[in-house]
Amino acid sequence: MGTRIAAATKPILRARLRSTPANGHVSFVPQIRKLVFEYCEKWPSSANTRTYLLQHVENLAKANPHVEVVVLQRNMREPIVRGFYLNDRDKVISLKESEVNQIQQKVQLLLDSSGAKIKSLKRRPVESTTEATRGIWSGFHTAEPFKI
Amino acid sequence: MASLLKLSSARQLAARALSTQAVAAPPSTSSALSLIRSQPSQYVVAAIAGKKYLLAPKDLLTVPRLNDVRVGDILSLSEIHELGSREYTLRGAPLIPQEAVRVQATVVEHTKGKMEVIVKKKKRKGYTRTIKHKQPYTRLRIGSIEVEGAEL
Repeated sequence: MGTRIAAATKPILRARLRSTPANGHVSFVPQIRKLVFEYCEKWPSSANTRTYLLQHVENLAKANPHVEVVVLQRNMREPIVRGFYLNDRDKVISLKESEVNQIQQKVQLLLDSSGAKIKSLKRRPVESTTEATRGIWSGFHTAEPFKI
Repeated sequence: MASLLKLSSARQLAARALSTQAVAAPPSTSSALSLIRSQPSQYVVAAIAGKKYLLAPKDLLTVPRLNDVRVGDILSLSEIHELGSREYTLRGAPLIPQEAVRVQATVVEHTKGKMEVIVKKKKRKGYTRTIKHKQPYTRLRIGSIEVEGAEL
């Protein structure tokens, strides 16, 4: 019923006590968790994908033990590779009429990615969550106050 | 009104100024480094692939694609031009030696930017070209800044 008196010190809000994510700062967790290859047994558009699956997929799985590699037969569909990431997003790339080395490049693209949505990376090279080390300049705290 | 304006004393002026008074330069590099290390946070100006960036720990840095590294590799920054904290700065001539400051960066991902569509056209000549382009980038996470010197 009475008026609330403001606290003498600034209250600590619980959101400030959370830690911010910084993957790679101390330890790095690869962001890709699963790769799914979908192919057709008969159609010619999947021919190169079938060659890749017979020759290269096992070595890929051995070289990337953190990734779950799944081969899924989907008949009468175009070939596809799907990458699942830890941020619950997935990237789908069509392998229709791709040569085997092009398939290798697309798979490497999925392995290198973090799953984040593609956005323009031209403007801001440094993304920082820490406060400015040197402090922020304040016009009210200079040695000489500005005289009109 | 006029009396209020005249009231600023030397003490109040000093209290208003946030920057410290100038001190004599420290006698040796190690004492300069210990001064910087004693402050709560430090920054580093480092050059990667020819461009300088102001970096702090935990920053995510986006640079043009580095083809020789793989995701998860740890890189050691070899061109450090400046080390600083809130009140002190150590400037290299032109670089600060690796024995004094060490900063590492982890390769977090290799990505591409947004699709850019470049249209070239010459009027009345029937010349139109459309170029679709995605610039490749590498993203690095900066580790801690390790300043050399005896711990307290």
